[in-house]
Amino acid sequence: MSTIDFTRELPVIEGRPSLREIDDIIAKPLESKPDIKYYIALSITLTMLLIGAVALGFSFYYGTGLWGNNNPVGWGFPIVNFVFWVGIGHAGTLISAILFLLRQRWRNGIARFAEGMTIFAVITAGIFPLIHVGRPWLPLYLIPHPNQHSIWVNFTSPLLWDVFAVSTYFTVSFIFWYVGLIPDLATLRDRTKNRIKKIIYSVTSLGWRHSNRHWQHYEMVYLILAGFATPLVLSVHTIVSFDFAVSIMPGWHTTIFPPYFVAGAVFSGFAMVQNVLIFIRKIFNYEHIITIDTLERMNKIILLTGSLVGYAYAMEFFIAWYSGVQAEQFAFLNRAFGPYAWAYWIMVTCNVVFPQLFWLRRIRRYIPVMFVIAVFVNVGMWFERFVITVTSLSRDYLPASWAYYSPTLTDGAILLGSFGLFFTCLLLFTKTLPVVSIAEVKAVVEGSQPSHGDH
Amino acid sequence: MNTENHKVDYVKKEIPSKIKKIGFVLTVIGLLFIILAYISNPVRSGFNNIILLMFLSSIGVGSLFLVALEYLAGSVWSTPFRRISEFMSATLIILPIVALPAYFYLHDLFHWTHVESLDELLQAKAGYLNIEFFSIRTIAFFAIWIVFFLFLIRNSFKQDKTFEQNLTKRNIKISAVFMPFFIFTVTFFSIDWIMSLEPHWFSTIFGVYYFSGTVLAALAILTLIVVPLNEKGYLVKGLVKDHYYSLGALMFAFTNFWAYIAFSQYLLIWYANLPEETFWFLQRWEGGWIYLSIGLILVRFLIPYIGLLSQPSKMNPKRLIKMSAWILFAHFFDLFWLIMPTYGKGEFVFGWIELGFPVFAAGVLIIIFTYFAGRFNLVPSGDPKLKRAIDFRL
Repeated sequence: MSTIDFTRELPVIEGRPSLREIDDIIAKPLESKPDIKYYIALSITLTMLLIGAVALGFSFYYGTGLWGNNNPVGWGFPIVNFVFWVGIGHAGTLISAILFLLRQRWRNGIARFAEGMTIFAVITAGIFPLIHVGRPWLPLYLIPHPNQHSIWVNFTSPLLWDVFAVSTYFTVSFIFWYVGLIPDLATLRDRTKNRIKKIIYSVTSLGWRHSNRHWQHYEMVYLILAGFATPLVLSVHTIVSFDFAVSIMPGWHTTIFPPYFVAGAVFSGFAMVQNVLIFIRKIFNYEHIITIDTLERMNKIILLTGSLVGYAYAMEFFIAWYSGVQAEQFAFLNRAFGPYAWAYWIMVTCNVVFPQLFWLRRIRRYIPVMFVIAVFVNVGMWFERFVITVTSLSRDYLPASWAYYSPTLTDGAILLGSFGLFFTCLLLFTKTLPVVSIAEVKAVVEGSQPSHGDH
Repeated sequence: MNTENHKVDYVKKEIPSKIKKIGFVLTVIGLLFIILAYISNPVRSGFNNIILLMFLSSIGVGSLFLVALEYLAGSVWSTPFRRISEFMSATLIILPIVALPAYFYLHDLFHWTHVESLDELLQAKAGYLNIEFFSIRTIAFFAIWIVFFLFLIRNSFKQDKTFEQNLTKRNIKISAVFMPFFIFTVTFFSIDWIMSLEPHWFSTIFGVYYFSGTVLAALAILTLIVVPLNEKGYLVKGLVKDHYYSLGALMFAFTNFWAYIAFSQYLLIWYANLPEETFWFLQRWEGGWIYLSIGLILVRFLIPYIGLLSQPSKMNPKRLIKMSAWILFAHFFDLFWLIMPTYGKGEFVFGWIELGFPVFAAGVLIIIFTYFAGRFNLVPSGDPKLKRAIDFRL
């Protein structure tokens, strides 16, 4: 610790790689043939995807009776998985937009990859509400359009707001991601010798010439998009939280839900990004670009958001008691000591207890331990959604209708398939597009910043 | 590590004594009005006293939060301004005195103190809402804040002379320990002194709501002091518009954050439409309060939002001064809206009794500032980050 000198800024990128070296190392995975390990990884994720697809096919054929959903617990795995994946999709835009507005330059090495994860996570999440409808040919009616059946959407339902929020979020995240890619695609276009690649890169880089004028426009667009994306990051999970909080179900109707869900989403999203980056930096030799310092900062954000989630748990419990509402008090006691106590305590240990280890600098900088903690975080955050969704529904106002929900094999297979889809997309991404932004990394190499030594 | 490489030329300029006089005059006028108010209507004054307490607490603990935040985030642009937040966090020291008059009227202010005539719901809460525990909590909150204030500020002042980097390191650790304390003390302080005025009402987001206003108030008072000081050359040379930008941006961000929290709370209660929650908003929708409720959107959200939206306005000194003064007013407005309807019970109240308290607050804050400005440097001149901070550009 004594080595930190506050009079100087920590470099974001270690060493002083030349611009050429940066081009080379980031473009390398795209210019070399995939090795055997890549195919092994891809076959694993594709198998998972296939299992999910088969389970989904069965669900379509035989109906949602294959799932564990029962009468009080109408929202089983599909909604839990939906909220989980939307949450994973929060880190990307937070890193790329909010940290950009906050001028956190260490984000430059990880922003592209996190944005990619956002897009794949939102795609994965989008599947679940559609299949949860149970009639996959009907969700078109979620988009308000004139039709022969005079079916019109219910604008007062947060479930509909979700449709708008998630699709807007996806669109803006995608545009943001693509705009950031344009200079890099141009770099790749200039490097490649393959004719087909050249055509693809030429078309997708939209005639970028790295000229001063282009950069000026680019910076402007990027800033405006970051400004747009920032409220969107917050709004998406806010509206997901409304799905629960506007109803008068005990344990769901609590006013802290919006910021609490957003903090939780950022929490799980960062954990997932950290997990995957640990592999990426090792496999592609990006250890000097995605440095230990960067990972340490991510761990600090995990600690912060994890503590905020802990704060929300505490407030919920306290106010449930303070409110004097019996149903509310029962709902929380039922969570902690009822039939789903096991899920509740998994959630608390993983989300509140383990991340507190990040108070220690040594653990924030020790890769094996931080990896395990972040895995726990994701397990915990999945269980958080499970606890919220299932415990409240399984024991609602009417004791006569109480029932225990247990997921079936099909539910598990679809969850596995969602991981398969997400990681398959990620693997394809690593071999088709630069996973680190070439242009942005060049901007944070030491010596590239303008100096202001004129006073 | 040598200390020479981060020394910055700083020559202290004294604050004109005129400012101090204004502070004294305002305090005396405010105090006179407060005494008159207590004589003519003690209960109503007690409610106003709570507004004053919550306002000054926001400034004090919010400023301490900003100081701790700078240490933890390692931010550089704010280092030349940090000292002003340190001065203003000294407001914490006078909080016990401000709380005292309200404390004498506890019985008239807080319905839950009427142990003999509580309904079943409030009897169930008596484990938390009783005078003994309430007092212990309030004393504990003040004590925690003041202890952290003393530790953090002492190290920072010491650094002016010793230039030791170790002090920064120590303060980072103290700040980290402070944060969990901060979030829980602020939450329960607001639950105790505002939410429990209406003891049947509850909202899990309430602590966050008060937190958002607290940070806004601390940012606003910092901006209101720092910008004129720098324009007149009281701080170090080389601070330009780029340094102002984040002040404007943070005020803008927290204005949005406040609106987000306030809207979340309102929408969820409106939508669920449960009588045990809605009565609190209905109380603010009857009599003259409806204008205040709608006005809150304008005063606390729309005006600062529009005023700070564009990038140039976040760096324009005149705009920043106007907007920060407005945000301080809006914080008072918000606290008035939170607290006074409990006294008014469906009837809008505003009169001369209300006037003394904000005047007193302004006077006291000026005195605190001039007192510390007379004794200590206006910038943390020994801070290792200061040189970097002067070189900071967006």
